[in-house]
Amino acid sequence: MRAQLSLVTAALFGAVAAGAAAYLSRGYSGHIAYAQALPSHQVPSAKNGGVVVQLCDGVTTTEVKGLKPGEQMSHAQAMDVSRKLMAEWQRKHPERHWEMAQAESGGTPAGSAPSSTSENASGAGATGTSEVKSQQGDTYASFHDRDYMIWKAQTDAFVDYGNKVFHSAKLLGGTIGVSCDMCHPNASNTHPETYPKYQVQLQRVALLRDMIDWCIENPVKGKTLSADDPKLRALEAYILAQRNGVALAYGKH
Amino acid sequence: MSGRRLTVVVLIAAGIAICVGHAARATMPPPKPGPLAEPKSAHQTGFPEQLYKFGVPSDNPQTPAKVALGKALFFDARLSVDNTVSCANCHDPDKGFTDQLPTSMGVHAKFGQRNAPTILNSTFNIAQFWDGRRPTLEDQARDPILNPIEMGMPDQQTVVTKLGSIPEYQKQFNAVFGSAPNYDNLVKAIASYERTQIAFDSPFDRFIAGDEKALTAQQKRGWAIFNGQGRCMSCHGWNPTRPLFTDDRFHNIGVSAHSAKFVPHARQALALLSQAAGPEQIDRLAISTDISEVGRFLVSKQPHDIGAFRTMGLRNLFVTEPYFHDGSQATIWDTLDHYNKGGVQNPFLDGGIVPLGLSEQQEDDLAAFLMSLTSERDMGRAKTEYERQFKISRTTRPQRDTAAAMGLKGSKGPGFGGPFGDIGPGESAMQENPASLGGD
Amino acid sequence: MAARHKSVETKFYEDRDRVLKALRNCDRRTFLKISAATMGAVMAKGLMPPHTFQLVEMANAAVEKGSSGVGASGSAPFRFAYISDSHLYERTLNQRFVRSIVKAVDDVNALDPQPDFVLYGGDLAQLGAPAQLEQGKQILSAVKAPVKMMVGEHDWFLDMGEKWQEMFGPPTYSFDWKGVHVVVLMSVYEKDFWTARKMTPEERMQTVAGLDNAVQSRFEVGEKQREWLKQDLAKVPSTTPIVVFSHSPLYKYYRNWNFWTDDADEVQAILKPYDKVTVIHGHTHQMLQNQIGNISFYGMLSTAWPWPYAPEGLPALTIQMNRADPFDQFDGCGDGQATARADGLVDTVYNLWDRNPVTVKADYLVSRGKTDQPPAPQFASY
Repeated sequence: MRAQLSLVTAALFGAVAAGAAAYLSRGYSGHIAYAQALPSHQVPSAKNGGVVVQLCDGVTTTEVKGLKPGEQMSHAQAMDVSRKLMAEWQRKHPERHWEMAQAESGGTPAGSAPSSTSENASGAGATGTSEVKSQQGDTYASFHDRDYMIWKAQTDAFVDYGNKVFHSAKLLGGTIGVSCDMCHPNASNTHPETYPKYQVQLQRVALLRDMIDWCIENPVKGKTLSADDPKLRALEAYILAQRNGVALAYGKH
Repeated sequence: MSGRRLTVVVLIAAGIAICVGHAARATMPPPKPGPLAEPKSAHQTGFPEQLYKFGVPSDNPQTPAKVALGKALFFDARLSVDNTVSCANCHDPDKGFTDQLPTSMGVHAKFGQRNAPTILNSTFNIAQFWDGRRPTLEDQARDPILNPIEMGMPDQQTVVTKLGSIPEYQKQFNAVFGSAPNYDNLVKAIASYERTQIAFDSPFDRFIAGDEKALTAQQKRGWAIFNGQGRCMSCHGWNPTRPLFTDDRFHNIGVSAHSAKFVPHARQALALLSQAAGPEQIDRLAISTDISEVGRFLVSKQPHDIGAFRTMGLRNLFVTEPYFHDGSQATIWDTLDHYNKGGVQNPFLDGGIVPLGLSEQQEDDLAAFLMSLTSERDMGRAKTEYERQFKISRTTRPQRDTAAAMGLKGSKGPGFGGPFGDIGPGESAMQENPASLGGD
Repeated sequence: MAARHKSVETKFYEDRDRVLKALRNCDRRTFLKISAATMGAVMAKGLMPPHTFQLVEMANAAVEKGSSGVGASGSAPFRFAYISDSHLYERTLNQRFVRSIVKAVDDVNALDPQPDFVLYGGDLAQLGAPAQLEQGKQILSAVKAPVKMMVGEHDWFLDMGEKWQEMFGPPTYSFDWKGVHVVVLMSVYEKDFWTARKMTPEERMQTVAGLDNAVQSRFEVGEKQREWLKQDLAKVPSTTPIVVFSHSPLYKYYRNWNFWTDDADEVQAILKPYDKVTVIHGHTHQMLQNQIGNISFYGMLSTAWPWPYAPEGLPALTIQMNRADPFDQFDGCGDGQATARADGLVDTVYNLWDRNPVTVKADYLVSRGKTDQPPAPQFASY
């Protein structure tokens, strides 16, 4: 975890420092030639006589006080700037991940090979295209909204199937008209977060699926489902989904 | 001889035969310790070391000298009032540390009400006796010596005096406990010996330890049924830490309900217990009167314990026949039939006892599995007994009730003739009670 | 004597009747000895009495002794019992629920002395089918004491109560009993959710039968019945004790599971002017108690199956029961008895099968838990 954070911080430092340098030099040298035109962001002017540094999202800014235009930041100042920008960005996007946001915007975090053919070291800035980028390697860097939609649809369907089986004596294979929801409305009192634990009815340590099978055989009076039966897996999925957010507490009675 | 004289002679002869028969039983010599009486090694597959340590009291650690003294006492009939009955009479090592009788016989050929439990693995019991009225082996050993129909000694002092008058015991007690014989040390020594009688090392234990071939295919099927449709595991629980096939609880499985005197016995129990009953009084009641049928209720006085008895372990069943607290079931197949039909209905039947719907093949598989719980040292005799019971089970099944086992009794089938069969009020009962239903 | 077919349970309970009669006929000294010894045993175990069938009688006797005579309002103490929430399928499909209700009938028939009446708390059938209702009526006709019927949603929504009313009469009624005014409500009306969805009667019933679907409407007493209640109570002086039997709880516990009455506030307002009001309700299949203002609430046990406690809304006063063991078909289920005291309040005994019975007294509820607190569970459901 710490390694990841410092990696991100280092990447950000690199990005921000490079970006800052680029913007600064841009502001004062007048022009820089690029292979592709980059979008221009409006950098707000400094209010306290320092230098404003802006994040590549074009929105998040921070001001480095006491820095004169043209002056080089110290390492500590640069670290501070990158920390502040990142914190501000995270505060505004609590549910997002920086790497994914970068991937979506088409840019890559500095430190990995840029896919565009730009010559400069700046990896920051969106290309502004609507093209869906896919790339080899670095699987978790290139997911898109469409992927999320597909995954959610599949997961919800699986959980829904479990919901259906949970509420149907017939689908469970029960022979006396008893379904799980009769004793466990909304999967209450199933406490899946407590497995593995010693299950007194089985007189051994069990996982959730073992207890599901036991309940099917006993109060529901059906035949046990095998481990790879889609119904058993769906039941497990449904029960786990109902307890989303509850802390794991294996062995708890 | 005239017909009348012949009758008289026959009657007298029969009378003599009966008297001789009884006398012969009463004067049968107590068993002598053989190889099976020796203390057992802890190096048996499946031995639960953690649990064993748990069961040795801090004030009675195991020592070889104490065990030897305990063994001597265990086989010594002088602990009984007429020198005919030792612990080993009812707990014979050659008979799985039981007597293989339905209920046990004590001094003066008196029979008790309970089947003698085995000493094997008794150190692991959560409580001793079928109703758990004594917590430890030491406490258990106190009772039979003083019970009038077991060993018949009148009181502790008599026992102590008698032991004290035997030079060998004077010496041994002094050597082990550093004092003259007393009752507490007597039971400590006996308990010490009993703790050495452990019995694991069965084919099942070897199977669990990794030997796939230790169980036959049939026995493996039985193990699956044990865990599944048979519902055995929930009460006869097994796990490596407590590999005893018991849940350490008490359940009414309907055995007492075979007797129609079951509820009147509850009445007697209440009345007698109100007269300031102490532990010895309970012991006497448990063994000597019909009240023993109410089981754990005598100890806990809770209604759901009426007719409840301790879940016994399942090891070495084929050397500890017959079965259940009253020894009423002669073969394992009888016990399986009992469970298969959902026990015997009574108001206090444990809610976990339900018809199981096992087929004949499944019952045979279960019996084969139970055979695999036999310790190696008892295997030979167990095999003979298994064959004997198997043969009987092909033709004689007094407890079998297939309709009940398949759950057909309630809706179809004869039962008590009402629309609910044996689980509901009969037609005429309902007609005779035209309770007003509805408003006002 | 004509040949009588009796269940095994009935036979045993007849024997038990003889036991208790014998005990009562013994001399006072022996009787006291028995009660002292068994009470002592109970106290030593740290259990609150009563906990055996003998002690139920003695505890009830003690309660009556404490409130002997006719109270200021002119009410004499009396006892009633209840059987509730049996959810019967036909016995060819499911014997377990049949066995349970028969066990409850045997419990109630074995009470000595017999209760004045037995309340059936609703949900006799599981899916409102005529065969299920008929079967239930057959079983309940074996109850010796008079049975007062109350309807539950499982009985009603297949045919909107047609069969129920044909068999048992109007679902809402009241009567006076030994100085107490008793009201039986139909508190599981629902606003129409089925017509727009074009549901068949079976689909409607199946929807209502599910606890955790969000499709059905919340229970209500309804404006018409609240009017009726107002009129009915208009003739009753405010000092008269009121006992209300209702299937839904008449307060708001957990909306998602319809442990809820939508117009509970209005109903409680109608009951507010009365000094002593007790509501006894079904539907929740658990040990449940509450006190709101002047009203004490007791939930009844089900004979068929227990429910876990809801994730929120559980009244703080509730004496919870330990979670049920699914290995035991009777665990968490049972029936109960209640004593309407001379002072107008009601004590109850929860006769939990395979467990020790639990007494919950009105004093506990009215004092908001300061007195007479029964023991707490070790592993409640969650």
